[in-house]
Amino acid sequence: MRKLVGLTLALTLLVAACGDDDQMVSSSTPPDAGPFPVTVRGTEIPDLPQRIVSLSATHTEVLYEIGSGPEIIGTDVFSDYPAAANEMEKIDAFNLSVEAVAALDPDLVILSFDPGDAVSGLAALGIPAVLFAAPGPPTLEDVYSEWRDLGTATGHNDEVAALIEQVSSDIAAILAQKPETVRAFTYFLELDSTLFTAGTGTLLDSVFGLLGLQNIADPADGPFPQLSPEYVIGADPDFVFLADTVCCGESAVTVAVRPGWNQMTAVINGDVIELDDSVASRWGPRLVDLVLTISKEVYGVG
Amino acid sequence: MTVESSRRLPVLLLSLVGGVLLVALLAAVMIGPVDLRPSAVFLEIFDHLPLVDVDSGLDARQAAIVWELRLPRAVLGALVGATLAVAGAAYQGVFRNPLADPYLLGVAAGAGLGATIAIVAVGSGSVLVPIAAFVGAVLAVVATYGLGSAGGGRRTGTTLILAGVAVAAFLTAAQTFVQQRHAETIREVYAWILGRLGTTGWGDVALMAPYAAISIVVIVLHRRLLDVLAVGEDEARTLGVRPERVRTAVVIAATLGTAGAVAASGLIGFVGIVVPHTIRLLVGSSYRAIVPMTVLGGAAFLVLADLVARTALSPSEIPIGVVTAFVGGPFFVVILRTSRRGAQ
Amino acid sequence: MIETQGVVVRYNGRAAVDGVTLSVAPGEWVGLIGPNGAGKSSLLGAISGTVTHDGVVRIAGRPATELGRRAAARAIAVVPQNPVLPEDMDVIDYVLLGRTPHLGYLAAETDADVAVTEAALWDLGIIHLADRPLGSLSGGERQRCVLARALAQEAPVLLLDEPTSALDIGHRQQVLDLVADLRRTRSLAVLAAMHDLTLAAQYADRLALMIDGRITIEGAAGEVLTESTIAAFSGARVSVIKGPDGQIVVVPKRR
Repeated sequence: MRKLVGLTLALTLLVAACGDDDQMVSSSTPPDAGPFPVTVRGTEIPDLPQRIVSLSATHTEVLYEIGSGPEIIGTDVFSDYPAAANEMEKIDAFNLSVEAVAALDPDLVILSFDPGDAVSGLAALGIPAVLFAAPGPPTLEDVYSEWRDLGTATGHNDEVAALIEQVSSDIAAILAQKPETVRAFTYFLELDSTLFTAGTGTLLDSVFGLLGLQNIADPADGPFPQLSPEYVIGADPDFVFLADTVCCGESAVTVAVRPGWNQMTAVINGDVIELDDSVASRWGPRLVDLVLTISKEVYGVG
Repeated sequence: MTVESSRRLPVLLLSLVGGVLLVALLAAVMIGPVDLRPSAVFLEIFDHLPLVDVDSGLDARQAAIVWELRLPRAVLGALVGATLAVAGAAYQGVFRNPLADPYLLGVAAGAGLGATIAIVAVGSGSVLVPIAAFVGAVLAVVATYGLGSAGGGRRTGTTLILAGVAVAAFLTAAQTFVQQRHAETIREVYAWILGRLGTTGWGDVALMAPYAAISIVVIVLHRRLLDVLAVGEDEARTLGVRPERVRTAVVIAATLGTAGAVAASGLIGFVGIVVPHTIRLLVGSSYRAIVPMTVLGGAAFLVLADLVARTALSPSEIPIGVVTAFVGGPFFVVILRTSRRGAQ
Repeated sequence: MIETQGVVVRYNGRAAVDGVTLSVAPGEWVGLIGPNGAGKSSLLGAISGTVTHDGVVRIAGRPATELGRRAAARAIAVVPQNPVLPEDMDVIDYVLLGRTPHLGYLAAETDADVAVTEAALWDLGIIHLADRPLGSLSGGERQRCVLARALAQEAPVLLLDEPTSALDIGHRQQVLDLVADLRRTRSLAVLAAMHDLTLAAQYADRLALMIDGRITIEGAAGEVLTESTIAAFSGARVSVIKGPDGQIVVVPKRR
C-alpha cells in the first residue's frame, strides 16, 4: 500500500515538473522569423529557439539588442552587458562542462570558444550549437555578417537588419565628420602591460584605419604581436590607447612612469586615452561607442 | 717539478670570457629596433659619467632609449644571467647532479604560483607581481627543506631533491588550477612564465643588484668547498667538512639570487644548465675554475640572448625564455656527443 | 691514540657492531680481520665519525664528540673501501683535497699545502700522473691516489679499509711498506681492515678478529691465526705455516 502511494507521488511530481517547463516557454513567435529549420554556420537549428544559452559576451550584447532577451536562459561569466545578462544562470565558458550546459535544457547555444568537444558534445545531445570561432571578424562587414547569422538563428531577421542599418549609419556619420589632416595620425593600442597589440588583420586595426589612424604595429607580423618598448618609444605615436585599464590596472599615470615613456609625445601632450577593456574587445552594438570615443579624443568631433 | 693545480685561476680564459661580456654589453646598447648611430650612443653614455658633459646629438627620446631602456636592460640581463648560471653551477656541485638547475628545489613552481595569484588578483602591471614571485620562490624552498627533513634521519642531497620534486609538483598543480579558474589571464601569466627583460628600468636593476651580489659572492667564496663535496658526503666529513652546512649556505645564497632573478624577469630557463656545462668543457670539472667563469659567462650569454630576442623579429619581441630554449635544445645534443666520445 | 669502549652501531635494529672495545697506540699497527659483514667497515666508520654509534670513541684521550669536525679530520685520515673518485678531477686536485682539514672554512690552499701534496705523490710513486684526470687511471693507480690523499692529511691516525685490494703484488707490497715506514717515522696509529691474512700477519703488530660485530680474539698473529680459527670464521681450509723469517704464512689447501 505504502509503495503504491510512493509511486503515485513520484509520478505526480514528475508530471508536475514536466508541466512546469511547458509553462516557462514563451509562446510568442516573432513576426519576422523565417521558416525553420535553418542552417547557420554549419549547424542546423530545427525550430525557433525559445531557450538560448549565450557563452560569448559579444554575442550576448547583440542578442539582447535584437530582441532575443526573453529567450535567453543562461550566459557566460563574462557576459556583463546589458545588466539583464547578469541575472542569468552563469556558465564558465573556458572550462566548459557540456553537462552543465545541457542541464539548463537549452535549444540553442552560442559559443566563441570550443575546447574541442563542446559543439560535438552538444550535438550528440541534440542541442544545436553555433560557434563563432576565433579569430574574430576582421572588418565591419564581417561583424555585420555575424550579426545576421544571429538574427537568422533566433528568428529576429528584421531587428538585425534594423540594427545593422542603425549602426552602420551612425558610424558613417561619425566618419563623415573626420577632418582633413596634413598627415595621418599614428597610434599605439595596448592590450596588456607587456605591450601586446592588435595588428593587421584584426577588427580593431580595421576600425582605427577607417578613422584615418595609422597603427605603429603595421610592420610587425601577425594579428597580435608583442612590441618592444624601445620600438614604441622610437615610433613615438601621436596617440596611445590603453585597452588594459581593467585587466591590468594601467592608466595614463602608470604609463607615464614607465622608463623612457615620459619622453613620448603622447604622454607629454596628455594624449594617452583610457578605453574600457570590454568596449575595445567586443564587436557588439557598442562598437559605435568605441568609434565615437576614438573620434572625439583624436579629432574632437563625433 | 711543480704541478699546476686548479687553485690557480685560468687567467687567460677568464679574460677571454670577460671580453665577450664587454662586447655583448656594447652590442646590447648599440643595437636595437630603433636605429641610432653607435658613436652617438657612446657619447650619450659618456655624458652620464660624473664631471663629463658632452652633447651626443641625440634628442630627448633617443637619449631616453639609450639610458632608460637599453642600458638598464643590458645590465639587468647581465645580473640575471650571472646569477642564474652560477646558481646552476652551485646546485650541480652541491647535489653532485649534472642536471641540477637553479629551479631544482621548487623555486620555479613557487614563483609561478605567486606571480599567477598576483596577476589574477591585481593585474600583470602591478608591483605586487614580482614581490609575490619572490615570496613564492623562497617559501617553496623553505617547504622543500621542511619536507626533506620531515622523515627523520639525515637530510641528504637526494632527499632534498626528492622533496623539491614533490613541492614543485604540488605548487605547479596549484598554479595551473588558479590559472584555469581565471582563464582570461592566461596570456599574461604565460608571458610572465616565458620570461622577459622587456619593461625594465634602473629601478628593477637596483632591486635585483643586492640579491645578485650576495648570491654571487657567497657562491664564489664557497667554490673550493664545492670541490670537496665532489667526493661525496661521507668522505667530505672525514675531510673535516660538514656537507649540510655547505649545502645550506649555498642553497640560501642560490635561492636568494634565483628568487631575485625570477622576480625581475620571470622564469628564464636553460641558463643554469647551458652555461656551467659549456664552461666545464673549457676548464674541466674543478669548481674553483668553473664558478668565476660561470659568473661572466652567464652574464654574456643572457645579454646576447636578449639581443636576439629584441632584434630577430623586430619590432616584435620574442620572449627570452624561448630564445634560451632554442639554444638549450641543440646544446644538449652537443654535450651528449662530446660525452659519448669522451667515454669511448 | 685511539680507544673505543663499547661501541655499538645499529642498522634497522640489527647491531652491525655489538660492543667493541679496542685500542691502538701511536706507532702501532692493528690489523682488523674477519668475514664479510662482520662489521669492520662500520667500526671504522664509527671511529671516523661518519657513522652514528653508541659507546665512546677517544682520540688522544679526548672523546671524539668533543672535537670539532675539522679537528677530528686533522687527527684521523680515512682510506675508504669504495672511494668516490670524480672522473674529471685531476690527480693533483684530488690529493690536494687531503689538505682540507688544515684550511679555514673559506680559505684557499697555500704553496705549503701544494708542497705537502707533491710529497705525498712522490711517496706513492704517482707524481707523473699529477695532471691526469682520475677517470683515465688504472685501478691500482686510483687506489694509490686515495692513499696519497690520506697521507697529505698528515693525521696521526690512519684508518684503512681494504687498502690494497686493487693493487698487483708489487704495488701492494710497496704501499704496505710505505705505510709501515710512515707509522714508524711519524708514529702513526694504524688500524687496517685486511682480507689477505698473510699480509695482515706480516705487517700488523696485532690482529683483532671480528665476527658478528664483536672482537672475539685479539693478539699476536701467531695466537689469532690458527687453522681451526680460520676455518671457523671463513669456512676455508688452510695451512698456517712459518715462513723462512719466522713470519706466519697462511696457505690455502686444495681438497
